Amino acid sequence: MITVTINGKKIALEKPVTILKAAEIAGIKIPTLCHHDMLEPYGGCRLCLVEIEKMPRLQTACTQYVTDGMVVWTETEKVVEARKGVLEFLLINHPLDCPYCDKAGECDLQDLVVKYGPATGRFAEGKRTHPESYDDPIIVRNMERCILCARCVRMCDKVQGASAISITNRSSKSFVEPFSGGEYNCEYCGNCLTVCPVGAIMSRLHKHAYRPWLIEKEVDTVCSFCGVGCSLTLQVRGNSIVRAVPKPGKGLNKGLLCNRGRFGYDYVGSTNRLDSPLIKKDGKLDRATWSEAFAYIANRLKKIKETYGSNSIAGIASGRCTNEDNYVFQKFMRVVLGTNNIDSVAGFAYAPAQKFFEGIFGQGVTANPMHGIANSDGIFVIGGDPTSVNPVLGLQVRAAHQKGVPVITSGYMQGLKMFSSKSLIPDTFTETTLLASLLTGLMKERPFCGLNSAFEKIIRDIQPVEIKEAEEICGITSKDISYAIDTLSVMTNPSIIIGRDILQRAEGHTNLLLLAALIYLLNGRIYLLSELPNEQGLVDMGCLPDMLPGGRPVTVDIFRKRYEEFFGVEIPSRSGLSLMEMIDAAHANKIKAMYVMGEDVVFNVPNTKYVKDALSKLDLLVVQDIFMTETANLADVVLPSLAWAEKEGSYTNLERRMQMLGKAVDGKGMDDWQAIAEISRMLGFDMDYKDSGDIISEMARVSPLHKDISYKDMADGECIWPYKGEPLRHGMSIEGIEMPDVKFPMIRPERKKIYIGMDNPLFHAESLSRNSAALHSIAPEPYVRINKALAHELSIANGDYVTITTNSGSIELSAQIDSDLPANIVLIPNNFDGKGVFAVMSWRMNPVIKSPAMDFTEAVIKKIKGAEVLT
Amino acid sequence: MLSEKAVVEINQIKSMYHDAQSSLLPALYVVQREHGWLSPDAVEAVGDLLNVPKAAVKGVSTFYSMFRHKPMGRHLIQLCTNVACMIMGAERLVDILKSRYGLEPNNTTSDGRFSLVIMECIGACGTAPAMLVDTDFHDNLTEENIVEILEKYK
Repeated sequence: MITVTINGKKIALEKPVTILKAAEIAGIKIPTLCHHDMLEPYGGCRLCLVEIEKMPRLQTACTQYVTDGMVVWTETEKVVEARKGVLEFLLINHPLDCPYCDKAGECDLQDLVVKYGPATGRFAEGKRTHPESYDDPIIVRNMERCILCARCVRMCDKVQGASAISITNRSSKSFVEPFSGGEYNCEYCGNCLTVCPVGAIMSRLHKHAYRPWLIEKEVDTVCSFCGVGCSLTLQVRGNSIVRAVPKPGKGLNKGLLCNRGRFGYDYVGSTNRLDSPLIKKDGKLDRATWSEAFAYIANRLKKIKETYGSNSIAGIASGRCTNEDNYVFQKFMRVVLGTNNIDSVAGFAYAPAQKFFEGIFGQGVTANPMHGIANSDGIFVIGGDPTSVNPVLGLQVRAAHQKGVPVITSGYMQGLKMFSSKSLIPDTFTETTLLASLLTGLMKERPFCGLNSAFEKIIRDIQPVEIKEAEEICGITSKDISYAIDTLSVMTNPSIIIGRDILQRAEGHTNLLLLAALIYLLNGRIYLLSELPNEQGLVDMGCLPDMLPGGRPVTVDIFRKRYEEFFGVEIPSRSGLSLMEMIDAAHANKIKAMYVMGEDVVFNVPNTKYVKDALSKLDLLVVQDIFMTETANLADVVLPSLAWAEKEGSYTNLERRMQMLGKAVDGKGMDDWQAIAEISRMLGFDMDYKDSGDIISEMARVSPLHKDISYKDMADGECIWPYKGEPLRHGMSIEGIEMPDVKFPMIRPERKKIYIGMDNPLFHAESLSRNSAALHSIAPEPYVRINKALAHELSIANGDYVTITTNSGSIELSAQIDSDLPANIVLIPNNFDGKGVFAVMSWRMNPVIKSPAMDFTEAVIKKIKGAEVLT
Repeated sequence: MLSEKAVVEINQIKSMYHDAQSSLLPALYVVQREHGWLSPDAVEAVGDLLNVPKAAVKGVSTFYSMFRHKPMGRHLIQLCTNVACMIMGAERLVDILKSRYGLEPNNTTSDGRFSLVIMECIGACGTAPAMLVDTDFHDNLTEENIVEILEKYK
């Protein structure tokens, strides 16, 4: 036990902390500038100087640790005089432009000068000048205001790991600069904005648009972009969002955000938002009233159901809608319309992967707290770059690596390039062989634990692949593969991070089995990357063709009976169609009506032309969305819905934490669930929900998993797996799981051909970011990533325009040359109007996991013109 | 960007140190020797080669005054004007460089022959004023002998 006395107050401490921390515990505030709770102690600004008895000079409280019996004084005359001196020095160069500076009102330096003075400075020479930099689309840099506390640089280096900025030059000419000196070209996480104590680094999005004291309300909510579910606060004035900021220490992101969360909120206020229901008349969508639209939908649905039967109707839910919306949606489809034809893009990879792992290991096996990644003793990443798919989760991997935790990555991952102990980049589409060789190697090193003998038998039956063979097929040296095996084999509880790329393959199910085997052998914790904020919610709310709310299979009689009894109706005992099956069935005229809630099916499903054809054949297409999407363009009725910041409800993140959204502004649309409830009423089934809280309480009675949960639990942060309900106990047996037959060698890609793949850019999010001016200003142009050697062979230079032609279509894109990408694949993002990868990508159904396999689409690349010719 | 020779040399330097960051200064010297200055492309190439973030390389290279960040003339004059040299007339030497060669501090003559950088003490106070021309040291400079010395550098 350590006892210190600060300002006469005795404090007992368990272990040594800094004086600053000890004072904080005692409720004594010591002023700081360079110190920030998210950063390591620095001792640069000298503002936290304190007097310690028996020590000759003043000491910095942020770096000095307490010792037993220490007596500290924080506000003596000597201390106050020193602080005044430090501030006088800072004000030599810091301009007194507070009336004009956006930071005024929330500026640490301003507050400190008000408290400690000095009123005037003695320095007669002029202040240094440095023009404000507007070279960047997002960040304004005013280096005259910079006090060189280096918080931003330390944040960028040590926490974000982007290392995009540094202090350049020295002495009074020191400035914080990105490499280019102008544009940042960084990850645009904006975490430097969070830590800047003065107005030196500011966001351009709201420059001179507000004053901190004019913010009318602050609404705590959860980010709407990816499956991590970061907490953020929306600051609102009038009916518009002024900015999105994190709260230090709050939420699972602990004050960090990524570019999408921090800057992407502006889609809510986009002028492209739908504001009225539309009904198609003579091939044109015309404005209509809500009641006209509801009546139209109800009548048409009723007729189609009567004529062609319930199973001629299908519904597509959305991972951007809330749990409440999705719950009501599946209830509408099952109970009101009588079909299990419900799916979403979660069915492409996230849901089947989770189902497969849960079948072997038990429900909830993927529900692992995110901070566990940085605390694990090893990390294996495959199938997607976590730093671009789920950026804040990616930071956990970087943090782990900086602590010395071994990180093995498989596949092309730019964001982890500097943060992996071994980066394995197998040749295009050969991960299956690599995984099998890792498994073969590990089986020699690690014994089975014996918990699941049936699964162990399956693992033993997998045909071994020796390292030599893998070296030849995957193009990775046997030394590297052996290194990976050796590193993995000593991990006791590693984090296994899995992205969707590895599943959307012809061998997707084999990859799943191999991964499950690795996880079993290594005692790994599974993290599934999730691109949507409520992808897990889709699964848990029952928006799957084979699952009822709570992850209960619809084909199991007791679960279905329970559901039927609750609502007093009968529902089909067979699973419905998956999303890709729905598209096929629409093509074959077997599906007559489709109800799409918040999903841009045309854009987010591969092979655009095929999808468009399928949807055009429908008798009725209903679309609820916030924008006029490609899918809405084909619809018979379009209903404007509310955006994330305009509604109440909850999201379930990838660690299965349920979190509440906060309503910040009013929208012109209608809640998705409310529109569905209205239509349901017209179809003769009353859904009487006063608000979203009513839905959650009904859901808590329907889903055995969510028994007794409430908004209060969510607000208290207690809605984490396994909630209070009953998880499905079917782990550790493998009955009923379809096990793939693993046979090597697999189909192999030809080195001479060029295949296309999907790129997951950090700056975009599906189709949503198309309506964010801020995100578009960072990355405005669609592109194709091409390997350096391939580009050289085709005489393509960086920025040149090329055409990519496949048997599904052709698009023009600018080329981005990349030296780490395998030579026979080019990557195209799916985030730009008419230029997404899905416009040219074809797919085949994976027969086991019912998701689209998107590999082996061959492409021809032709250069059209050099970058300098265009524009 | 970097010559094969430079890459070999930098890789060899890299192998001599415990971490990549430590090999940064010697690596930058190699590049400056070869190019005469450190262009942004060269700084980036060094970062890539050593696996050090390019912004960090820029921070280090701009901190030290011995690295040049714009192209230099064929010969680099580094003249001290600190206290001892100043008292012994270094500022007059600056004037001479200007009138004779049209050379101003931090600039290069129009024929690309000389560049001038004003230094803060090169440790020759006893024999001030002093200058470095490329790597050659010259002290006891006068208004007469400075021109004589410089005329040897074409």
